[in-house]
Amino acid sequence: MTRIVEIPPSLDDRTFEQFAQAFATGDPGARVLFDARQAQWASPFGLIGLLTAGQALQEAKRERPLFTVPASEDVRRYWARAGFFRYAEELFELHGRVPAVKPDTHSDVLLGVTPVRASEDVHAVVGMIQERASRLLTENLGLEAKATMGFAMALSEACQNIVEHAGTAGWVAVHAYTYRKRLGRRVVVIAVSDAGVGFRRSLEGSQAKRFGDRWGDGAALEAAVIQGVSRFRDPGRGQGLAGIKRYLTRWEGKLSIRSGTARIAIVPAWDEDVPLTEHLAPFPGAQVQIVIPAHGETPA
Amino acid sequence: MIHTIRIDHILREAVTTPYRDLVTRTTGAAVRSRIERSIDGAGGATMMLDFSEVGLVDFSCADEVVAKLIMGAGESGARYVVLWGLREDHREAIEHVLTHHRLAVLVAGPDDEEPRVLGELDSDLRTLLDLVQDRSAGDATDYAADLCWPLERTAAALHRLALLRLIRTDGCTYCPVHRQ
Repeated sequence: MTRIVEIPPSLDDRTFEQFAQAFATGDPGARVLFDARQAQWASPFGLIGLLTAGQALQEAKRERPLFTVPASEDVRRYWARAGFFRYAEELFELHGRVPAVKPDTHSDVLLGVTPVRASEDVHAVVGMIQERASRLLTENLGLEAKATMGFAMALSEACQNIVEHAGTAGWVAVHAYTYRKRLGRRVVVIAVSDAGVGFRRSLEGSQAKRFGDRWGDGAALEAAVIQGVSRFRDPGRGQGLAGIKRYLTRWEGKLSIRSGTARIAIVPAWDEDVPLTEHLAPFPGAQVQIVIPAHGETPA
Repeated sequence: MIHTIRIDHILREAVTTPYRDLVTRTTGAAVRSRIERSIDGAGGATMMLDFSEVGLVDFSCADEVVAKLIMGAGESGARYVVLWGLREDHREAIEHVLTHHRLAVLVAGPDDEEPRVLGELDSDLRTLLDLVQDRSAGDATDYAADLCWPLERTAAALHRLALLRLIRTDGCTYCPVHRQ
């Protein structure tokens, strides 16, 4: 018995909910086939979200899932350049021709799909991104040079959430592209995802009692993102997310975090997202997206 | 006596990688424990922590290295620290964590005649710290007279500055940490 999960033609943080719904539906014991044949585009959030689904199945010791690659040669090449297939082949039984393309680090893929397992991986990611992002952020996005350091800091803190809280490995990717519909400007997007315990389980021991009946994925996200609480007693904890929010406020960026069945967002003026969404389809771990828009650019 | 600790050197020893960035709590804790060993072996000397060759400092690492170092200063009894060579982004990250903990530290750079304070310090303490740095040494009566403050207010503020390790005490005399 095989359960088919269709990948939306355009997979980003919004259409991700269709994917999560399909992933959560059906016989949990059945082998899963991820069908990406119709895929036309995927954001870094979408790409590492797919890997997270595969990782969750692998860690649950379920039968190795199938994955049909996009029919479009261009899309396959883009996904290959973004480093997706390099890790997908470890998690899925791939069907379809995967182009032999080296991961690209000179175009809009600032950081291809990169695993985050330990502190050393965060060092490596931060080292790589400073080299590559500096020129793009200042020349293409019109940000001041000092924004590059803040950007690397935000990336570092987002990746550390995996190392510190997830209880398993995760993924990070950074791309630049144009937000045509929502903003009409170029943006740089950091996506970080893991298949770990998620915010609710991470904070349950210290926070569930305080929230009482309200406790759930949404309350856990609110506690971590808005109130800055952490599962650790150390009073210095929780400053990573606070630092990210501070950076995003300065550069009109957006932060959204999905965990379990809820999603929270710090929404800038240019976006119309809702601050908190609950009762979503369950999805493993936590998924973070940070969006920094271009400055001094006239919206298209 | 002032000892200088090159943070980039300590970082290289702690993580055994070529990266120049102070990122992650694990790295921060490893760097701090090396700094603490150096401080504890320095016999109460002021330590100048030289950040000039450090790349990025993230919030978590700033918390582990700087905030926890200062918070532990009261326990060891003799930790006087001045941060040297901070870039603007270093200052922002460190100030963010110090403000969170309601702490302050002295910072200096090649263009500074005197160390300046970074972090959270109320106006009484800032005023008095400036005076201690100008005056070099004095007791509560001297500073109270200079500021035209009541003695009790001056003594309380000096005591708080001493607890924060922003000034040194020698009996009833208070002096800047960078002059011994």
